[in-house]
Amino acid sequence: MKEQLISLIITTLGEMDLDAEIKATPFSAETALFGRQGILDSIGLVTLIVAVEQGIEDQFGAAVSLADEKAFSQKSSPFLTVESLANYASDLIKAEQQ
Amino acid sequence: MNTTHITFLVERFKAHPDDEAIVWGGQSYTYGWMADGIERWMRELDEQNIPRGAVVSLEADFSPNAVALLLALIDRGCILVPITSSVEAKKPEFRAIAEVESILEITDDDRVVQRVTGVEAKHELILKLKHSGHPGLVLFSSGSTGKNKAALHDFVPLLEKFKVERHSMRTMTFLLFDHIGGVNTLLYTLSNTGCVVTVAERSPEVVCAAIEAHQVELLPTSPTFLNLLLLSRTYERFDLSSLRMITYGTEVMPASTLQRMHEILPNVNLLQTYGLSEVGILRSKSKSSDSLWMKVGGEGFQTRIVDGLLEIKAESAMLGYLNHDSPFTEDGWFKTGDAVEVDGEYIRILGRKSELINVGGEKVYPVEVESVLLQMEGVEDVIVIGVPNPITGQMVQARVRLSTDEDLPQFRKRMQAFCHDRLARFKIPQKVILVEKSLHSERFKKLRVE
Repeated sequence: MKEQLISLIITTLGEMDLDAEIKATPFSAETALFGRQGILDSIGLVTLIVAVEQGIEDQFGAAVSLADEKAFSQKSSPFLTVESLANYASDLIKAEQQ
Repeated sequence: MNTTHITFLVERFKAHPDDEAIVWGGQSYTYGWMADGIERWMRELDEQNIPRGAVVSLEADFSPNAVALLLALIDRGCILVPITSSVEAKKPEFRAIAEVESILEITDDDRVVQRVTGVEAKHELILKLKHSGHPGLVLFSSGSTGKNKAALHDFVPLLEKFKVERHSMRTMTFLLFDHIGGVNTLLYTLSNTGCVVTVAERSPEVVCAAIEAHQVELLPTSPTFLNLLLLSRTYERFDLSSLRMITYGTEVMPASTLQRMHEILPNVNLLQTYGLSEVGILRSKSKSSDSLWMKVGGEGFQTRIVDGLLEIKAESAMLGYLNHDSPFTEDGWFKTGDAVEVDGEYIRILGRKSELINVGGEKVYPVEVESVLLQMEGVEDVIVIGVPNPITGQMVQARVRLSTDEDLPQFRKRMQAFCHDRLARFKIPQKVILVEKSLHSERFKKLRVE
């Protein structure tokens, strides 16, 4: 599931209207999203998260909320990298499917 | 017979007995017919023992009998509650709120059925109006952003402005007569012995056919309908050369819709109207056919702008709501809640203050975003609202009806590219939902509540 989520996030980033210099480097699991050296500002982050949530609903049939109080109270932010977001999403999907 | 309230109208009708008053079901009825009809209904109301000052619901759409009966009821000092079929499901609720005492229903074949409800109106405002002997009018707000508020008007000040004779036109009654705009159009047209052209259905097809068949000069409508007209290209199939003026109101006009309308009908004056159930319709004048700037006011109206919001003081203001606290300031100003920009004598409506979207401190009104998205190929209709988001407080959400077969990621990508140079980044919808059903109400107004 995690690989599928990483791929969903990377595809979504690719579809976003980001600066050419950001798009010059290929996205990977390690790509920093938000915060230190992150490629997104808050509006970019909102756009990504909503699109990923909609993608998760399509692919996994799960309605998850990636940005809520819970996300902000995590020890380390789920929005640091593509991988951390995929991990966080995967936890939420599993919890939702149980 | 006491004919004080509508004497001026009946005199004008009698002076033009052979002129067309109303076209209904493809048939014409003259002002002579209308004057007789009013007198017939006055006698009928006597015989049916409908008391003067009774609260009467007139449940009908525009028809010759509905109009004659409406005027006879005004003359009788009744408090009128016009209810149309567009609110079928809400009829019992509306009757209860307005404390309707008698129901007069006009059937599809223009017959009248009367029922007594057994209710005795006790609302303080209604009793006060009854006591004054003036006729009244109860109008329900459209409720497109929440619950329907019932505004009670004294009909006498509402009639006042129609005593000044103005230019008469062949006018389509697009807005219904349970709407302040519909009542205004009807009374304006009748008081100038123009011709009211009714339509059974308000699709672009039926409206355009009626314009051609009955040489309609004035079409009062809404931006949502004009957008449908543009999309359907119905205007290509009918001769609309009789049209001289299109007025638009009831919701904010997207700049792109106005621009395209002006390109397609360059010889038609496009005029914005402004009015509210609570204060009546103001006189307005657009700067030009392709401009959203307008002057509003006119005799009996004062306007001022407080903190960017329009406030109105009107002689024709309602007495109050029947189901809500008074919205007026102590000195009688009504806070419209509409945010406006000002340029000298002109104002431009930005949108409802309550619909302003705050994205991380940056502000945007829905219509600006809607106007851009409507220019995209395949976008049939769109509604933009603000929805909560923990990162930026609110985000911009667009519900879009598409004629293309794109999926959401494909459309989102195309939208972001299209908006790149047309909208500031925070205004580009962060959330997009594709919908299939229609996004507007029966009144051709965007449904902003999901």
